[in-house]
Amino acid sequence: MSAIPTTAVSSPAAFGGTSQGWAVDLADVAKTYKGRIQALRGVSMKVAMGEIFGLLGPNGAGKSTLVKILMTVISPSRAHGTVLGHPVGHKGTLARVGYLPEHHRFPDYLTGGQVLEFYAGLCGVGRADRKKRRGDLLELVGMTRWGDTRVKSYSKGMRQRIGIAQALMNDPDLVVLDEPTDGVDPVGRRDIRNILLEVKRRGKAVFLNSHLLSELEMVCDRVAILVQGVMASQGTIGELTEGRQRYEIELGADRAPIEVLREVSPELAAAGRLTTGEAIEHTPTMLRVATGDATRVQGLVDLFRGRGVVIHALRPVRPSLEDLFMQAVTDPTTGQILEPGAADNKKGGARAAAHVGGGVA
Amino acid sequence: MTQTLALLVDAYRELNAKKLFWVTLILSGVLVGAFACVGLDAQGITIFKWSLPVPMFNTRTMNVGFFYKFLFLQFGVALWLSWAAMILAVISTAAIIPDFVSGGAVELALSKPIGRVRLFLTKYFMGLLFVTLQVGVFSLASFLVIGLRGGAWEPRLFMAIPIVVGVFSFLFCVSALVGLLTRSTIAALLLTLLFWIFLFILNAADSSTLMIKSQKLAQVASQERMIERQKKEIERLEHWAKSQLDEKAKADASARGEPEPAPGAWTSEQLEQSNPQITSNRNQVSMMDKDIKENQDDVRQIERWNRGFVIAKTVLPKTAETTKLLERVLLSEEDVEKFRRTSGEDRRGRDDEENTHVAGAEMAERVLRSRSVGWIVGTSLAFEGVVLVLACWIFARRDF
Repeated sequence: MSAIPTTAVSSPAAFGGTSQGWAVDLADVAKTYKGRIQALRGVSMKVAMGEIFGLLGPNGAGKSTLVKILMTVISPSRAHGTVLGHPVGHKGTLARVGYLPEHHRFPDYLTGGQVLEFYAGLCGVGRADRKKRRGDLLELVGMTRWGDTRVKSYSKGMRQRIGIAQALMNDPDLVVLDEPTDGVDPVGRRDIRNILLEVKRRGKAVFLNSHLLSELEMVCDRVAILVQGVMASQGTIGELTEGRQRYEIELGADRAPIEVLREVSPELAAAGRLTTGEAIEHTPTMLRVATGDATRVQGLVDLFRGRGVVIHALRPVRPSLEDLFMQAVTDPTTGQILEPGAADNKKGGARAAAHVGGGVA
Repeated sequence: MTQTLALLVDAYRELNAKKLFWVTLILSGVLVGAFACVGLDAQGITIFKWSLPVPMFNTRTMNVGFFYKFLFLQFGVALWLSWAAMILAVISTAAIIPDFVSGGAVELALSKPIGRVRLFLTKYFMGLLFVTLQVGVFSLASFLVIGLRGGAWEPRLFMAIPIVVGVFSFLFCVSALVGLLTRSTIAALLLTLLFWIFLFILNAADSSTLMIKSQKLAQVASQERMIERQKKEIERLEHWAKSQLDEKAKADASARGEPEPAPGAWTSEQLEQSNPQITSNRNQVSMMDKDIKENQDDVRQIERWNRGFVIAKTVLPKTAETTKLLERVLLSEEDVEKFRRTSGEDRRGRDDEENTHVAGAEMAERVLRSRSVGWIVGTSLAFEGVVLVLACWIFARRDF
């Protein structure tokens, strides 16, 4: 895979207006459709230069609306903040932004190479730069052989690759990608990941919108979870999982671990907590202690070992992005998964989404 | 500039990919080729080397240049460019705006550093490229054929480009607005065709009422002339009857041996009794008076209708009349008059009724031809402007 080509016009050092290093700095972004569908309800978020930022959320959470507001495709009902140092909605800034929408559709009559040239032309990239970057980016996304073939004969993965190349044609400082790996095979996904990491290495910002949590987990520096138009949480994965680490203990007994615990320490089993207060959960195969501090579980280990119980495994576990996601989309009062979709004033949707309102990390 | 050029190149590629564009261009070529094969000699029309005797069309009745201009106007512009090629153009371009604003495509365009109004208008004007290229090629080919075959190098032929493109733009703005509102190619196509048919009907109604009114006025004028003639005839008959009655009175007096009477003041009844033709003529005058009154009432009624049609046309584009402007540009009044004479439209040998019809048609034609270019083109462009402003406003405000 070749390196991402650049033009002399835009370099990582030329981040005009982003003195604090924020590629995206949004505050209180709201969007209401037809006066009642609240797609976004005061979203605030920041994406730093040189980082890959992932936006998660269930269907209808408002992710695409937020991205479209950034790209001026949708006008917000209310928005404060900047994109690359300019107010949200500033058209000129888009010359420094690359964008790949979800379900994008390129004109059927164009070849892959022509698609790159056309959209770069709309970004104001000069002819010479277009020609040069066309070849370089086709090579980068592995489409050199297909550059002169019309996009109507492309597979979904090929279109996605051309879409990514298109988003990089203007050598953007901020790349916004909506479901970039949708329909792409594992090799292609790896290639896309590498491209994103290369973009990041060059000091540029990447804003990813995806359902593929494992993909995001692999590349994102920070993530945000949007639920029913409200930012449920955002931060680095470390920040989001802080205080949610567990220690898992697997025992060598042929009985359920909780039964062994009842036998060695009926008090702990009854309380469901260590003496220091950490909760003890159990599954048919293991015990889980809700702490990230190894010293807190030593007493419990000693208790088992003192009674001759064999410990097969003791390991610290961190919640996955999927765990965080599932937690964000679960109503804590009912334990039910929240209905997908935006909040609808007429259907009391605002109340349904109320629990996520104050969850910004 | 880079962005506009990118859109221009894209528009060309879009056209290039449309089969209908090439089909239309080939048909245009065939039509011009047919022009080139047709000629004029002293006997009539020639096709290759064969001569077809036609009394109306030969070098004795018109020059070859006029003949080719006539062909260009009647077949090239009036039939091909204004109807057949126009329909193909409307079909071919109906998808441009719906495709442009369809989901997945419009987001990409809107996310680029180009204003929405500029983007929409550039896309719109690129849509006119289809017809511009078609008419441009057709006009150039016709210019060469008329020059080489007819010996008349007529640069005014290229006025067909702005005129036909203008007419197409009156329809394309409607197609663009409907396409933007519905995002449906079928809706854009059908509603544009319906709109065109409506304009055609409105124009036909305007022309028809104008023609009927003109014919009625010509009829009134003819009847008034006939009444004058009848009145003179009645006077003549009365004079003759009076002299007859005077002579008879003289003869009677002489027979009775009485002195010759002075010429008498005869009453109308006495005169009518003397010559029943006077009664018949007076009845005819009275009937014609009644007819004139009825016709004048009709004229007033038709005038009201025609005024309504003209008002409606004022706020709508005038496709047919705009196309007709090319005739004004290429053919002078003398040319048209000369053609009327040579094509046997003179009144010799016609009866009064036929003459009234022809006079009415000519009068209507003169009224239509006298309508100002400002009214025809200006108000049509104003309509297009209003539709485009509305479309731009919607495009600029809509969330996609």
